[in-house]
Amino acid sequence: MQGLLLKDLYMMVKYGRIYLFMSIVFCVVSFMNPENLFLVFYPCLLCGMLPVNLLGYDERSKWLQYCETLPYTRAQMVSAKYLIGLFAQLAILLVMGAAHAIRMGIDGIFYPGEFLSMMMSLLMLSLIASSISLPFMFKFGVEKGRLAYLIMVGVVSGGSVTMANILSTKTEAATNLVSVLPVLCLVGAGIFALSWYLSIVFYRRREL
Amino acid sequence: MNALEIKDLSITFSGFHLDNLNLTLPCGCIMGLIGENGAGKTTTIKLILNMLYRNGGTVTLFGQDNREDIHLLKEDIGVVMDEAGIPECLTADQVGKIMRHTFRRWDREEYARLLDQFALPHKKPFKDFSRGMKMKLSIAIAMSHHARLLLLDEPTGGLDPVVRDEVVEMFHDFTRDENHAILMSSHIVSDLEKLCDYVAFLHRGKLILCEEKDALLSAYGIVHCTPEQLGELELRAILHTKVTPYGVEAIVLREHIPNTFKISPISIEELFVFMVKEAK
Repeated sequence: MQGLLLKDLYMMVKYGRIYLFMSIVFCVVSFMNPENLFLVFYPCLLCGMLPVNLLGYDERSKWLQYCETLPYTRAQMVSAKYLIGLFAQLAILLVMGAAHAIRMGIDGIFYPGEFLSMMMSLLMLSLIASSISLPFMFKFGVEKGRLAYLIMVGVVSGGSVTMANILSTKTEAATNLVSVLPVLCLVGAGIFALSWYLSIVFYRRREL
Repeated sequence: MNALEIKDLSITFSGFHLDNLNLTLPCGCIMGLIGENGAGKTTTIKLILNMLYRNGGTVTLFGQDNREDIHLLKEDIGVVMDEAGIPECLTADQVGKIMRHTFRRWDREEYARLLDQFALPHKKPFKDFSRGMKMKLSIAIAMSHHARLLLLDEPTGGLDPVVRDEVVEMFHDFTRDENHAILMSSHIVSDLEKLCDYVAFLHRGKLILCEEKDALLSAYGIVHCTPEQLGELELRAILHTKVTPYGVEAIVLREHIPNTFKISPISIEELFVFMVKEAK
């Protein structure tokens, strides 16, 4: 599977420059505005969409058909996309989180427990977002699977509203977030694993 | 040992039916798959790679059913499809690095040698390659991991005559190893005629002939004569006639033609066209 990951990495470097640029912009803005978590969340959400974009390029170049002639299983082809998406989200969250933490530290409002809980929550929400769209893409192809974006946007919006409610007061936030975090992590990881499994099942049945 | 055995293979999808295909390709041989557009050549190659769901039949590669661990079997198969399928932004060097992590027996030196032989740029993105260059890169990949079987779908399409000749020679060298074999489809029947030990004619999903090339060429011939002379021949000897301004041209079975007649050699292309018309 290393070959597939390497290929996606090359493509990410080529086609993902806009993500990098936006991440830098968001990183700077987030540094200036540490109260706004959306600025940390949005680049992470964007990176969660990277596998979908890569899949779109693969379809256009007929790589999916060519890949069938190489010694890979369909499960490996799906897994490569999930892993590349996960790595991208983790990497961007690490960078954004570091910038955010530094600014909070300067302002004297950095609380490690609360901060880690927030980061984990954002990662989980972001993972859920990409998890919802990918099985559709693997089943129907990227063109038809775009419908999944609409569903995903609805779910993510709902999730964001819930998060906003949880974080409505600062003192409540630390308590509430810490208490719901294990559940959120469990749900997020569960949805991510289920999505991964479903994508493999769908993709195995798809004729290319 | 047979490199490939296909038994009663069939598949149906909208407007197409591959009908109980039977083929055997022994190791050390090259088989040419000839057919018009939509005859089922690419479908056959895809079924060999288990890329499509079949209705029935079996495909065996080096004695192993292709539904069992096909991804491991693909280590032994080099494939060139009519469309290369390489992502547009990748360069030949990047493709080489990807393949190094894909095939266990990837041969970096051989790949570099083939890139140089085909005069392919190492750093140019694939999207800037011409059709011929794309095909050459596909061939270089297929031949750089010590495959035992090459499945080639129109591999000489888009190549200029000089490179085509080079590539054909390369395929010929490949089968000097008696453990190697090639199944190759092409519209350019002259390439297949030059290269193949066996030819298989596909027409609308049906195998209308699969025979050793030399046996075919020695069994059939062309007679140029007058209509009166043609009348002297046994009916079973004449397969097809065409009236021309200079007389009659007939495809004949050599064994039934008297020695007094001069028989010209027939080309595989002429034979294929004749058989397809018969099948219609």
